[in-house]
Amino acid sequence: MKVIFNRQDSTLTVVISGNIDTVTAPELDSQLQENLTGIKDLILDFTAVDYISSAGLRVVLMANQQMEDVDGNMTVENVNEDVRDVFEMTGFDSLLNLK
Amino acid sequence: MIEVRNLKKIYNGNAVLKDVNAVIEKGEVISIIGPSGTGKSTFLRCLNLLEQPDGGEIWIDGKNILDARTDITAVRRKMGMVFQSFNLFGHLTVLENIAMAPISLLKKNRSEAESQAMTLLKLVGLEGKANALPQELSGGQQQRIAIARALAMEPEIILFDEPTSALDPTMVNEVLSVMRNLAKTGITMIIVTHEMRFARDVSTRIFYMDEGIVYESGPAKELFENPAKPKTKAFLRRIDMLNFNLDRADFDLYNFQSQVVAFAEKQMLDSKQIKALYSVLEELLVNVIFPEISRIDLEIGISEETKTTELCLQWQGNAENPLDSDSVSGELARMIIKKRSKTMTFTPLADNKNQLLITL
Repeated sequence: MKVIFNRQDSTLTVVISGNIDTVTAPELDSQLQENLTGIKDLILDFTAVDYISSAGLRVVLMANQQMEDVDGNMTVENVNEDVRDVFEMTGFDSLLNLK
Repeated sequence: MIEVRNLKKIYNGNAVLKDVNAVIEKGEVISIIGPSGTGKSTFLRCLNLLEQPDGGEIWIDGKNILDARTDITAVRRKMGMVFQSFNLFGHLTVLENIAMAPISLLKKNRSEAESQAMTLLKLVGLEGKANALPQELSGGQQQRIAIARALAMEPEIILFDEPTSALDPTMVNEVLSVMRNLAKTGITMIIVTHEMRFARDVSTRIFYMDEGIVYESGPAKELFENPAKPKTKAFLRRIDMLNFNLDRADFDLYNFQSQVVAFAEKQMLDSKQIKALYSVLEELLVNVIFPEISRIDLEIGISEETKTTELCLQWQGNAENPLDSDSVSGELARMIIKKRSKTMTFTPLADNKNQLLITL
């Protein structure tokens, strides 16, 4: 998994490539935590995310919660069909702002 | 030599063996094949009364071994058994492991028993390991010693309960090779196996077990090439099954996934099916099984025709379905598994064993 951060003022775009699974989710979590201070708009670009496990879902959910805690927004963009299936089967599609 | 009539075995209200009937002649090599959970090992264990049947008759050399008047010890001495786990005594040398039972049970003197043990070690190609301890040997070598140990009791019949299932794939052939040679000696062998090529090559007859009975039987070539009944046909259309003995202490998710993906690609699953398969396996193992259970046996079978994937997990422990757990940490994982699965069946088996069958 590869993660690229692009910050403009209080907006952070996170471009993630690869699988977010049991092994990589903790790494994504720690990188997000290092970059979320002062962020009001968080965009997770999932164009190149092929697979997400429940460990990855928990990281996404926590990030969403952190944005809500600061009255910010989080959107998950460019979700492919397989990943969208996982969001739907776990009810995340109604919790998250998917684009 | 062996005649089984109307054999029944019930676990917790579940009839694993419903009505097993079979006749096995002296010198036959019988391979028992079939899907997981269809009672193959239970049948084998009933033959030497490691399991007490709930009904029926087992006749061995004209004696009904379920008759209370039969001398069970004498009957058991006719039968050796080789298990999936080798069960060697770790504190004894290889030679002592083989010679121990003939000394204590057959009352052989030590030099006679050790000389016989050396002959058997030659038979299994391990004469140079007589003074080694089991833990100094590979899994394949330990299983060959277990075969020699079973032979040391000079059995007329030898039962093999999935003798290669616990082995690293690189060690399977050395054990099968010893068994092939043994099959040529004329000893009666009854083998529960998933090694289809081996079963086809060495067996005089095949028993295909399903639905709690010997569903179909016949000469190996005939049964493999022209199975008559639908379930036998469906089973044999499966190209292969993939088996794992997994331990959470050394579980490597990526190594495991790469083996599963290679297997699934070989079975021509498409990328969506492969993703669904490893998604279920990751959630199941990492978030549902391993937090509660340290070791499991996993078998993955894929039907060539329907591409249905069947996962069979077996482990020792309390009779609790891990998918019924209410742990918060595993909630998302259980949701994903349930949504991706067509069926999920939990069955408690004998000896604190449990089985979870999942079809995708």
